[in-house]
Amino acid sequence: MKKLLLLIFLIICTCYANAQNTKQLLRKDTLNKFVSSPFDELLDTISVNYGLKIVFERDSLHRYDVVEHFFQEPLEDVLGFCCKKFNLHYWTDASGTVFIVKDVDDMQRLKQLAKTLKSPKSALKSKNPDGTPVEQDRGFDAMYEAEQKAAKLKQANASPPAAEGGGVGQKSKAVSTNKMSLQASQVDKTKSNSHLTVSGKVADMNSGLALPSATVRVRNTNLTVVANNDGNFTLFNVPADTCTLDVSYSGYQPDSFKLNPDLLQKPLVLSLLPALTTLNEVNIMGQKSGVMNTDVKKVGVLQLTPANLDKLPNLGEKDVMRAFQLMPGVGATNESSSGAYVRGGTPDQNLVTFDGFTIYQVDHLYGFFSAFNSNAIKEVQLFKGGFSAQYGGRLSSVTQISGKDGNTKQAAFGVDVSLLSLNAFMETPINDKSSLLMTFRRSYQGPFYDKIFHQFNTSTGGGFGGGAGGGGRGGFGQQTTPASHFYDADVRYNYRADQNDIFTWSFYSGEDNTDNSRQLELPSFLGGTAPDITDYTKYGNLASSLKWFRQWNKQLHSNTYITYSSYFNDRNRSTTGTTTDSNGNQTSFNNGTVENNNLKDVGLKSDWVWEMNNNFKLLYGGFTSFQHINYDYIQNDTSHLINQHNSAFSGGGYLEAEYDPTSALHVQPGIRATYYNPTSKVYVEPRLSASYVLNDNYTIKFATGQFYQFMNSVTRNDIANGNRNFWVLSNNNDIPVGRSRHLMGGVAYENDQFLIDVEGYYKWLSDLTQYNITQTGFGRGGGNPTVTEDFYTGSGRAKGIEVLVQKKLGQYTGWLSYTLANAENKFAIYGNNYYPADQDIRHEFKAINMYHDNRWNFSAVFIFSTGHPYTAPLSTYTLTGVDGNRTVYFNVSGKNAERLPDYHRLDLSATYDLLKISGDKIGSIGISLFNVYNHVNTWYKEYFIRNNAAVSTDVDYLGFTPNITLSLRFK
Amino acid sequence: MKRNLYFIWLTGIIFMVTTGCKKNNLNSTGQPVVQAYLLAGHPITVNLYQQKSLTDTANYGPAITGQQLYISDGSKQIQLTETTKGTYTSNDSTFLVSGKTYSLSFKYLSQTVSAKTVMPYKPQNFQTQYGQVYYENDKNTTRGEIDTLNKFTWDNPDSLNHVLVFDNIEKTTLPLRAGIISNSGSYQFIMQADRKSVYFVESDSFPYYGNFQVVLLSVNQEYADLLKSNTLGSNSQNLLNTPTNVVNGIGIFTAFQSDTLSFILRY
Repeated sequence: MKKLLLLIFLIICTCYANAQNTKQLLRKDTLNKFVSSPFDELLDTISVNYGLKIVFERDSLHRYDVVEHFFQEPLEDVLGFCCKKFNLHYWTDASGTVFIVKDVDDMQRLKQLAKTLKSPKSALKSKNPDGTPVEQDRGFDAMYEAEQKAAKLKQANASPPAAEGGGVGQKSKAVSTNKMSLQASQVDKTKSNSHLTVSGKVADMNSGLALPSATVRVRNTNLTVVANNDGNFTLFNVPADTCTLDVSYSGYQPDSFKLNPDLLQKPLVLSLLPALTTLNEVNIMGQKSGVMNTDVKKVGVLQLTPANLDKLPNLGEKDVMRAFQLMPGVGATNESSSGAYVRGGTPDQNLVTFDGFTIYQVDHLYGFFSAFNSNAIKEVQLFKGGFSAQYGGRLSSVTQISGKDGNTKQAAFGVDVSLLSLNAFMETPINDKSSLLMTFRRSYQGPFYDKIFHQFNTSTGGGFGGGAGGGGRGGFGQQTTPASHFYDADVRYNYRADQNDIFTWSFYSGEDNTDNSRQLELPSFLGGTAPDITDYTKYGNLASSLKWFRQWNKQLHSNTYITYSSYFNDRNRSTTGTTTDSNGNQTSFNNGTVENNNLKDVGLKSDWVWEMNNNFKLLYGGFTSFQHINYDYIQNDTSHLINQHNSAFSGGGYLEAEYDPTSALHVQPGIRATYYNPTSKVYVEPRLSASYVLNDNYTIKFATGQFYQFMNSVTRNDIANGNRNFWVLSNNNDIPVGRSRHLMGGVAYENDQFLIDVEGYYKWLSDLTQYNITQTGFGRGGGNPTVTEDFYTGSGRAKGIEVLVQKKLGQYTGWLSYTLANAENKFAIYGNNYYPADQDIRHEFKAINMYHDNRWNFSAVFIFSTGHPYTAPLSTYTLTGVDGNRTVYFNVSGKNAERLPDYHRLDLSATYDLLKISGDKIGSIGISLFNVYNHVNTWYKEYFIRNNAAVSTDVDYLGFTPNITLSLRFK
Repeated sequence: MKRNLYFIWLTGIIFMVTTGCKKNNLNSTGQPVVQAYLLAGHPITVNLYQQKSLTDTANYGPAITGQQLYISDGSKQIQLTETTKGTYTSNDSTFLVSGKTYSLSFKYLSQTVSAKTVMPYKPQNFQTQYGQVYYENDKNTTRGEIDTLNKFTWDNPDSLNHVLVFDNIEKTTLPLRAGIISNSGSYQFIMQADRKSVYFVESDSFPYYGNFQVVLLSVNQEYADLLKSNTLGSNSQNLLNTPTNVVNGIGIFTAFQSDTLSFILRY
């Protein structure tokens, strides 16, 4: 641990040294002049002499006098010095325009007014003969360099090395060549090629990071494409090689790129500048720009970019899985599980992949935090159902997490500190072909951690805990708090071998560890040595993947993965020691339980995309995997109560077409087939989704499909020591291969300001598995324990309607979400009728409100849902056994026939952005208040027999909890 | 726009109608509790109780009196007599014989309560490996290495369920290990042998030294199910109804046969 931190520190220091060499905006030109004038006049001078477009409010700036001698100082420093002195910021947008602002909210106004400015030449003409500018009626002015700013279009970065030069200095170079490109385009206009195929990549101008899901549109046509996960895109039938491409992406300034024939001979990289983060940038319809986005043309697709997550309340960690829970169709009331309860499904029915490998342990700290560090994540997509044939192996949903590539242009690092954890990351180019990203997060055991720990650990059994992944808390019920922590680490190395081949190695390790081992203190009159109590639990996931991206030609590319994932969930609670009797004889003893569940998953898969033209795309691929699961439950060293060792081999392929017969209709049929070795059967899964654009505002959409699941997470109920979740493989015997069928449809309305999305679904589930374990043989003082394992097979159905109303623009943004749903199961053990599934929620309403005012972001999240169903005892009765002992039994209600009280809470947060003079965000400081009005939300009820009567205790979720987070970013 | 809003509302209304809350029928708390262990060649006793409210600390619920209980073996039916409140008996010790199916029925609160069980055959060839065993727990062995003290065997060609009841008949008990409190008076515990024909008792099984009456019971599935049900404690996430073979009631109506031998664990 210490070595790792030292390593990170050393690397960060190295990166910082690299950062000094990075070219910055406005750095190449210098000012050598004694200045004694109002600030606005200095800006005029700079504007005219250096050909910069500077926009500012003259009235405001005329009040500030600059008296300073600048000795060959870079313009950046000049602007920085003045802005700092007058408490202003400067900000450079994608077109190279420099804005001088008092508050960041002035940007929007200045941008709109800048559009109405007269041409540079007329601006020059408007100057008075003595050189001072004429006051404008509108109260502001701007100066241009005529030639440069006449064309707003900017030439795309011609080659990666140029792009990697980074910064605005390079951009100036690009701008200066713009004239050439314009001239070339005029010359070539007559011989422009028609039906061109244009492919390229959308990337961050500063870091070189790919921007997945960026939108590229050919101006004045209907040709639009969304960049894939690696930022790559291909456009077919581009009318001319002199067209203009409009590019937009969440959190970045929209930009335009003029094509020319020379450009198309080289790899095309369209680089975007980050937007001023506190601003809600100008929105283009359909563009993804919010904290959370839906794809209006697809059923049940949510997309999230972690960069905006700090705008939402959080309890110490920006949490991608928790953020999804704020959207319709994803349950938000399971504080004990970060897993996704999607559309009546359970977390184990949600496939979670990270850079291609499967993550089986998706949360930390008894489910309160997800296991994914947002600093390591580029993008997350959640497919709520009816998903593509590319994915399989789960009945309900898919969460696809894409790791962030390291910065290819300059080193950067950052740190987040909260009352819960320390979170550090660094990213750096290694050389011109490769980059590295490392993140590390570890909790520390302060009062905040202990509060959550105790919330999920106040056991009545006083035993051992570890209710990983929901359903039943652990059992560290001792008076003292055991040593406990979680950590996770990500490493991602990206190597661009050549123009067409990129290799990425990704590594993830996450673990929760609680150790309550101690030596029991014995009274001195008792002989022997004090017993040692071993008492620990640890669970987590270790995984890695190697990905090879290959662009075979402009139309064909592939991603091939070798993946490995290892899940473990171990518990050891035993006491060893010796006792000495009156004769001095020593007896050593060792008793307790050891329980281990581990899963190994090795896989190979290859995904291919063949883009034939703008209307037809073929996706196909193959996959194979081998899984091995061990489950041991040992008592007192010798009694091997459970001893399972199972393996499964599976393999298969898929084929899917994306076909757009018209510009309005999109059809996506697919088929997936999997051979599963333990059952020796082939499972075929047909899929179909479609969307139809009715007009500019309305889209209707539809999806259906069949899905199989070959492994399940089952729960071993343990009253005394906390429930345990473990994974089992389907077999030909008592655990069938689960199957579900989805039918989903919806309609979306979207305009510049609002999005209204309504979706409905119906799911049929069959061959579900539930697990029950019965341990008998406890006599008073001991006895031979035996374990009976029962796997029950049942079916289920889920239906619901989801409504999302989202306000996309303005100072106030946010969304309202309402879900009306019903999820039922039928297992013979509970009778012949369907009963409400554990995760069944009838009504769920969520209001997410975000308001920003300059550097402040405020948010309020309100969640309401009907209570979870539960099973209650109705009465008791006593029977005397054949041994003469009395036992009190419960007479129980129907399975899940009762409802816990409604769940609701309000979370608030305020975040203040820390900005550099240049307007770049360097961090934030935020305060979050969880469950502000301290509403008591019940998790479940515990029942015990005491003195022949039933005692019921409510186990509650977290009450009011505040937290503070400080985030800092350095380059 | 308007048409689409109608569509949305209409879909919502249809959904609400089709998914409207359906109240599940709760198990009736008014059903009677039946307790009867039929032993071949013995008189019959059936106890009837009411269920208790959750907070009731009484040992048993109030007795159900004034009922007319019948037990039939398929060809003959006898009526039980209420001897004490809630206890219904028959002194006919010849009625219960091996292999026959016995049905209980009575009418309670306008419902017919019934239960059925089969009288198993008497265990055959029940034997102990040792009549007595000397065992000292102060040897330098770990508790993990549990010593097998004795072996009990019986014939079980049909793989029927069996349980063993160990009845410590000492007046005072001597604990086998540190940490176990001395017990005054007799003490019993039950061990499940499932469908086997052998049972190894280990040092870990015995809390006390002393003279034990070991009773081998041939039991039916309904009693094995009852023994396996978890009564240690529960929560709303995993609560299950206790298994019962009584229709329109709860409890147990079962039959067993037994054989007994003696075993002494000495210090």
